[in-house]
Amino acid sequence: MAIENLTTLQITDPAVLKAAAWGMRAIAAAIAISATGFAAAWAELSIGSAAVGATAENKDVFGMVLLLTVIPETIVIFGLVVALLLLF
Amino acid sequence: MQTIIQQLYSYRVFHVKNFVASESEESKELAIGMPLSGATEASAKLIKVRSLESTFKVKLDEVVPTRRKPIKEVQEIIDKNLPAIEQEVEELLQRKTHSEATFKEVDQHIKELAPFADVPIPFEMYRGYASIAVFTGKVSRDIEIPFPHEKVFSPSKEGNFLALFTPLEFRDAVQKMLDKSNFIPLPIPKGEGLPKESYDRAIQQSVSLQRDINQVEKRLTDLKDQQREVLAACEELLMSEVEQTEAPLRFAMTDQAFIVEGWVPESEVERLKAGISLSTAGKALIKEMPEDEHYLPPVEYDNVPFAQPTQLIVDTYSRPRYDELDPTLIVAIIFPIFFGIILGDVGYGAILLVTSYILRRFITFREGRWLLDTLRNASISSIVFGILFSEVFGFEIRFGEMIWHPILFARHLNIGAGAAEGGGPNITGLLLFAFWIGILQITFGRLLSSVNHYRHHGVRGAIPQFGWISVMWGILVILWSMFPFPLMPNLQGLPSLALGLSISSMLGVALLIGGILAIVTESALELVEIPTIISHTVSYARLIAVGLSSVAIAMVINFITIGMMIEPNLEHPSVVGIVLIIAGIVVFIGGHFGNTALGLIGGGLQSLRLQYVEFFTKFYKGGGEKYNPFGMVKRFTED
Repeated sequence: MAIENLTTLQITDPAVLKAAAWGMRAIAAAIAISATGFAAAWAELSIGSAAVGATAENKDVFGMVLLLTVIPETIVIFGLVVALLLLF
Repeated sequence: MQTIIQQLYSYRVFHVKNFVASESEESKELAIGMPLSGATEASAKLIKVRSLESTFKVKLDEVVPTRRKPIKEVQEIIDKNLPAIEQEVEELLQRKTHSEATFKEVDQHIKELAPFADVPIPFEMYRGYASIAVFTGKVSRDIEIPFPHEKVFSPSKEGNFLALFTPLEFRDAVQKMLDKSNFIPLPIPKGEGLPKESYDRAIQQSVSLQRDINQVEKRLTDLKDQQREVLAACEELLMSEVEQTEAPLRFAMTDQAFIVEGWVPESEVERLKAGISLSTAGKALIKEMPEDEHYLPPVEYDNVPFAQPTQLIVDTYSRPRYDELDPTLIVAIIFPIFFGIILGDVGYGAILLVTSYILRRFITFREGRWLLDTLRNASISSIVFGILFSEVFGFEIRFGEMIWHPILFARHLNIGAGAAEGGGPNITGLLLFAFWIGILQITFGRLLSSVNHYRHHGVRGAIPQFGWISVMWGILVILWSMFPFPLMPNLQGLPSLALGLSISSMLGVALLIGGILAIVTESALELVEIPTIISHTVSYARLIAVGLSSVAIAMVINFITIGMMIEPNLEHPSVVGIVLIIAGIVVFIGGHFGNTALGLIGGGLQSLRLQYVEFFTKFYKGGGEKYNPFGMVKRFTED
């Protein structure tokens, strides 16, 4: 019975519809940011530990490994761009 | 050989190319040279001087010379005075170690004695009973014992002391009782007589030991202050001796002669030649070799003073090679601008500017100063962009009622009270602004690259670089023909020529295809890299992304502290309210300092990364050898 009610549920109030659409965009933005954030962190995890090891062996590579470590940050920046475009 | 080494060393322009022994036919006769006589002694002395310096914690760079000493004088000091100083220091150190060890023992003894000190029972009375059990220890409170016993209870702050004497047959029962009431047993210290006397004696001993340690430390500090400059002079002299006597290890040698290879700046060649021929009476053969593509000369920067601090940033990546453009000046201009775009806030910029000037007092070495100069430039740029964005600690800039509206783009987010006035951030504007910066910098990088390639391979080398530029602008023109973008040319309305394509989209396609063909002239594999055109451009979005996050943190701090903790309580003052207001001020200050630190790291690293990854990869290889002339800048000694 509850299911029947749900299937026939019709929302006609435009304010509610607008809020629901806005909520979906907010959820989409949140997914974009959090998924890319995790991805970037995961990628930097292994690069970072390898970078520290390499620097301990040879200090001259510091500049190079710093660069390698920040490369995956692009992932989360992309996520942020998508999120911002969704929200604004 | 010694004469030539001395000459080369004193001119300080000759970059020695280390000799590497090889099996090839022409260099079979050559071997690595042997150190000159005196190398071992000089090294041994140098180690002693350095060990003294490490005892005193003296660092050569940090000593400021007042007078340069003649070499003779320093030599004499090394031979005569140093052994005496060394002996004294060694004795002092031994005395100190001994005193410290004894001090620790005495201190331990004092701790054992302390609980007994207040009880007037001599130590003999605690020991040596045949039929009585003795308990000594700490308890939380006095305990009633229902057995025959003799008890001493002495309350004190560090824990109440209890001494209990009971016949042996009750020992177990008493023990059980004590265990129940958290009794901590203490061992009876060795000694005779009243504990108080032993305790006082130990205290006296510890005081005198402490005095002794202080004396030794004072003497060591005095010695350090006296000898600091002398030690630095000795180290400098010995270092130069070691470098000179060990120089033949970098030379090639035969039975009769030796060969030194190296680089000299062009302007210094004649002077060095003349000097060497004069001192060796023409017995040295000096030959200038043509430049060899396999052995590029070492590199020394040649920058205007403004750009010099940035050499540090470029060196962190890699020193430029002899045959490529030095990006230092470009980075010196662009890096602060990027930093400013990311951390565009008058307040944070001012904090960093003041910090850079305060740190100047403590940091005197050259690299540190360079870093501070870079920070200064970056923070000035941050203030300028703060004015353009109208931001101070996340607030809008306003003078009384007048609001200073952002000139560039608004970055104020809809957080907290002032949200409605700000009107929200102009995200699209900011994003496209960042993309424009990316497009221009990448194009610029490719242009520089075409110059580098042109130098090496002529026009043919430069073509693929123009191909990359053409592909990027081709994609842009196609996009402009398809969609309208704010801040960018709108080519949508142009009439279509053929196949439904407008003139602009045909131009875009032509640029794209022409560019791809140009890239293929170098290598078809390079085409794999084409997506990087888009990813690198979008990567410039970090300029606003990281900046927005910093603005968001600042606004959240403001909202929590001022909007939620301070303002409501100012309206209805109460005791709790005042505490909350104080807490709000503390959080406000701490939060903004934290955000400044975050902004410094974020802004610095991200704009550095844009230089390193997006910009340098287009044209800059690096890997040059640093020009490091044989010789030493003498600060403490003179010939």
